[in-house]
Amino acid sequence: MSLQLKLGERYKEILFSISEVALATLIGIGISAIFIKAGGYSPTSAFFYLFKGAFGNLYGFYTSLSYSTPLMLTGLAFALSVRAGLFNIGAEGQVYIAALGAIIAASLALPSYLYLLAEFAIGIGLAVMWSLFAGILKVWKGVNEVVSTIMLNWIAYWVTEYSRSNIFYDPLSPDRTIRIPITGRLPILVENTQLYSGIFISLIVVIVTYVILWKTALGYEIRAVGLSPSASKYAGIKFSLVALEAFALSGLFAGIAGVMETIGRPPTYAIVTSLTNLVNLGFNGITVSLIGRNNPIGIIPASIFIGGLMAGATSMQIFAGVPLEMVQAVQGIIVMVLALPGIIRLIKSKVRRR
Amino acid sequence: MPPEKEVAIEMVNISKVYPDGVLALDKVSLTIYKGEIHGILGENGAGKTTLMRILYGNIKPTGGKIKVFGKEVSFGSSKDAIKIGIGMVHQHPSLVPVFTALENIYLGLPSNFKEQASLKELIERTGIKVPLEERIEDVSLGIAQKVEILKVLYRGAEILILDEPTTNMTVEEVKEFFSTLRNLKKMGKTVIFISHKLKEVLDITDNITVLRRGKVSGSLPTSQATPEELAKLMVGREVFLKLEKQESRPGEKILRVEDLWVKRNDGSWAVKGVSFEVRYGEIFGIAGVEGNGQSELIEAITGLRRAERGKVFFKGENVTNAHPLKLYTMGLAHIPEDRQKMGLILDMSVAENSILGIHRKRDFLRPMMIFNENKIKEHVERLIHQYEIVVSKINAPARSLSGGNQQKVVVGREFSKTPDLIIASQPTRGLDVGATEYIRSLLLKMRNNGKAVLLMSSDIDEIMGLSDRVAVIYEGEFMGISETSSVSEKEIGMMMGGYKMGEIGKK
Amino acid sequence: MDEGMLLSILLQTAYASTPLLLSSTGEILSERAGIVNIGLEGIMLLSGFVGVVVGQETLNPLLGILAGIGAGALVGLIHGMITAYMKGDHVISGLGINLFALGFVPYGIYAVWGVRGYFNPSDQAKVPKVFGVSPIFIASLVLVPLIYYILFKTRFGLSLRACGEDPHSADASGVRVERMQLLASVIGASFSGLAGVFMSLDWLTTITKDLPAGRGFIALAIVNFANWNPLLGLLGSYVFGFSWVAIEWLKISALKQVIPVTLLNTIPYLVTLAVTAGALGRSRPPKYAGVPYKKE
Repeated sequence: MSLQLKLGERYKEILFSISEVALATLIGIGISAIFIKAGGYSPTSAFFYLFKGAFGNLYGFYTSLSYSTPLMLTGLAFALSVRAGLFNIGAEGQVYIAALGAIIAASLALPSYLYLLAEFAIGIGLAVMWSLFAGILKVWKGVNEVVSTIMLNWIAYWVTEYSRSNIFYDPLSPDRTIRIPITGRLPILVENTQLYSGIFISLIVVIVTYVILWKTALGYEIRAVGLSPSASKYAGIKFSLVALEAFALSGLFAGIAGVMETIGRPPTYAIVTSLTNLVNLGFNGITVSLIGRNNPIGIIPASIFIGGLMAGATSMQIFAGVPLEMVQAVQGIIVMVLALPGIIRLIKSKVRRR
Repeated sequence: MPPEKEVAIEMVNISKVYPDGVLALDKVSLTIYKGEIHGILGENGAGKTTLMRILYGNIKPTGGKIKVFGKEVSFGSSKDAIKIGIGMVHQHPSLVPVFTALENIYLGLPSNFKEQASLKELIERTGIKVPLEERIEDVSLGIAQKVEILKVLYRGAEILILDEPTTNMTVEEVKEFFSTLRNLKKMGKTVIFISHKLKEVLDITDNITVLRRGKVSGSLPTSQATPEELAKLMVGREVFLKLEKQESRPGEKILRVEDLWVKRNDGSWAVKGVSFEVRYGEIFGIAGVEGNGQSELIEAITGLRRAERGKVFFKGENVTNAHPLKLYTMGLAHIPEDRQKMGLILDMSVAENSILGIHRKRDFLRPMMIFNENKIKEHVERLIHQYEIVVSKINAPARSLSGGNQQKVVVGREFSKTPDLIIASQPTRGLDVGATEYIRSLLLKMRNNGKAVLLMSSDIDEIMGLSDRVAVIYEGEFMGISETSSVSEKEIGMMMGGYKMGEIGKK
Repeated sequence: MDEGMLLSILLQTAYASTPLLLSSTGEILSERAGIVNIGLEGIMLLSGFVGVVVGQETLNPLLGILAGIGAGALVGLIHGMITAYMKGDHVISGLGINLFALGFVPYGIYAVWGVRGYFNPSDQAKVPKVFGVSPIFIASLVLVPLIYYILFKTRFGLSLRACGEDPHSADASGVRVERMQLLASVIGASFSGLAGVFMSLDWLTTITKDLPAGRGFIALAIVNFANWNPLLGLLGSYVFGFSWVAIEWLKISALKQVIPVTLLNTIPYLVTLAVTAGALGRSRPPKYAGVPYKKE
């Protein structure tokens, strides 16, 4: 029983969405192929190894899944705020600060069974505060959240980097922080891969978010505010309250991602120099959300796709020589194409006119 | 008027049928002579707007032809209109608010523009004095309209179409404005004056054409027209549509509005000191041509717009500027004017829309604020059954419903709150006959059951047929409040046209 | 503090403010026409890169500057097509620009020069000083009053501003709204392009993926702070630019015993937050900025 059309009934809409994403991906691949060729590399080789590294063998597949773990959450963070009509791009910084929170917990002397709890509590707490700060600025002072969240991202970066190198560094290996103690780690899912059990947590959060958005009064208000501010006002829904709830939830999701990356990903279990194991998780979440049409269900395959890009990128770099950052550029093109409203419909109408 | 009877505009059998089947204009023919000020009179829905948009090239007629200065024309767009000398002055001037008058006059001039007369000349000849260096948002609407007149004159307009130009003007401004129009006449310009204001039309025009329900109901020289005659032509019924109505048995006061003053978004006063009461068991109607402040009045009463001065009492409690939720919990229901923007969230499903505003009711929620979908399903199915809403599935998006069914969802939802006061704004606007009849009967039923209804509508039939008492709003004030049974349609027409009840000669 | 040091601080402030000034001025132009571009960061990065590539290949800094401007113009063209003509979402398109640049530039650095992370152009590629100071800095001081003049004292600027304030009235008055918006987007983005190449070939003389360091977003805050007025933008840019200089200063001062150096890097961002939170309420954007213009 559902208050909205079931997936099966919405097949036309879903078909359109999938074709739009497919088109955007094709354009992304096409244009980047041009750049790859211009750089002197072979596009076919590049994409071959990209795919191989992502889904070509079991190890690659597991690595892709391991990246999808945080991406699902940062994707949700963006999706939720978009549903409320907000552009919260602060997941990047919230991930950093949550990771820091986990390390802070690790640095405390606690009985071994409390580490997991402390890591999540402190990490998520910091991330939610970070996000709420932007939310309060928006609600209270009308500060544009695009600018404020980016500023907070940079502040989070430096605070975390400072803490990494000056406070929580591991004296035996000062290029990274202290490690998360063994009792505070998430179990690995598949031996000798990076896939850790956090993926289950991510999936649970996705489902919970789906439930929240479409089956609770809170989600109803979030969607109402994003779809029709005037109707929401008429219905007595208070925008400021809903906005703060949205910011808090986004912070929660990004926070879980940041904590899990630190306490779950082998072999590091720490924060490394320049936060390289944490950067771009937030920004790639935006791509994930857009590809997933800002819908939790769509975010699952989208996160595996982008996770695959991230996983395959290393392989592309090693075997085809193309620097792995290229996949970021592909994502950028896909996002720009997805900025167009209903491109498929646009093309159809142009064709019909001829 | 000089006997040069050159025809400026001739419309022959102009018809307009909109894509959704609505017949807006039905073989309208009229002749406008050069150098005259021609009034086009009519209430809402009469077809004035459509006619004007056709004249200005905004939309194309589905039948008939237009001749301008003897030449048959067919417009591509509104930009073509100015090329053949037709200039449009909108009710809300098409001027950029933060620009000065001068900047607006010069905005968008084509690079090969050759002025026929310099701006200074024009100002002198027309006598239009406007502060050229002031921003449009800082000047009154009256001045803004003068600026727009200058703008189209500067671009060579010979024929000016003025759409409700004296909206929001003070008496002084209207006097000044009319002397400007007379100057334009002296210059040989032709003016089409579209209005619903009887006094003004009688004052300034040379000839009047009255539209009613898309047809020309009368065409006569102003010198031969009386307010009573015009009102009759405009409103045109001897007897209003009478619905089966029990005797009204009004009870206690439920709503009291005291000297309410409400502003528009642009800062001007929309409502200027309105007072009235609504009682249990009656339908109180607010009649008036759109744009006279009724929307803002309703918004202020329902908590959606600030009341600057005055008070609102609901069930004895002072609820001036209270939050809508408080009013809803106290027993108020609001059927909003714009069902698509306010009353519904079109992209949400019918089921979701059926609980908009009441989505936090304990019945509909399980612990943790999770929806009790069975209860909601029951609720929406009850509404569908009770109000005969045609819908393919309850979880289809509200967008897929017809206008009438959409309104039924809104009405059903609001009624399901078992309210004591129902405020209905333009409840049957845009609906087909069946839905219209149905909604009206629902309102009557509420009233017969002892509930109170505050009805706002620009459809005279509706107001006069449903209301027990009626007030006519004009330029933010009530022209008169009366029992419906003791006021004639002529009087209503005149009040809608600007005459206070005391000014109308008794029969 | 002696004279030489004062001069040095002034000059440093000027250089630190120049990219902010150029970028924010360009965006003011763009937003006044109704086009919001949050991809300024990405444009700076891309043009910084393209400028170095061309400048290095040809060993001609002027060509490098032109290439940087051109790269910005190209991005502005694409963004303008997406937003003005195809009615796409302004924010998402801008996000895409940033993402693209973040990936493309590190790729490009490696693809062109075979190095990872950063590349420093050789001396012949760098922009030479004119009268001891950067010519782009001088140009920026000329460009800003020029843009102000164009925006507020010319017929063209009038039409442009109408598109952002009231596109319907502008259209009714005969202004070609979409064309104007596209043009504004191209010009605006070119300014950010110049800002980028200033950083890579003139001031910082390096290209790395962290070149803009958030300046593109600070420029957005400046646009707001300046109330969409280029002259106030000049003031705002120098306030923010100074905060950057303040960091460097504080880093070497005695304060470094108290506040750690790394944390001092957060100053520009904290300043931005403080200013945007404090200054708002009296600023007013062009009414239809960011809203795709749909004809009725």
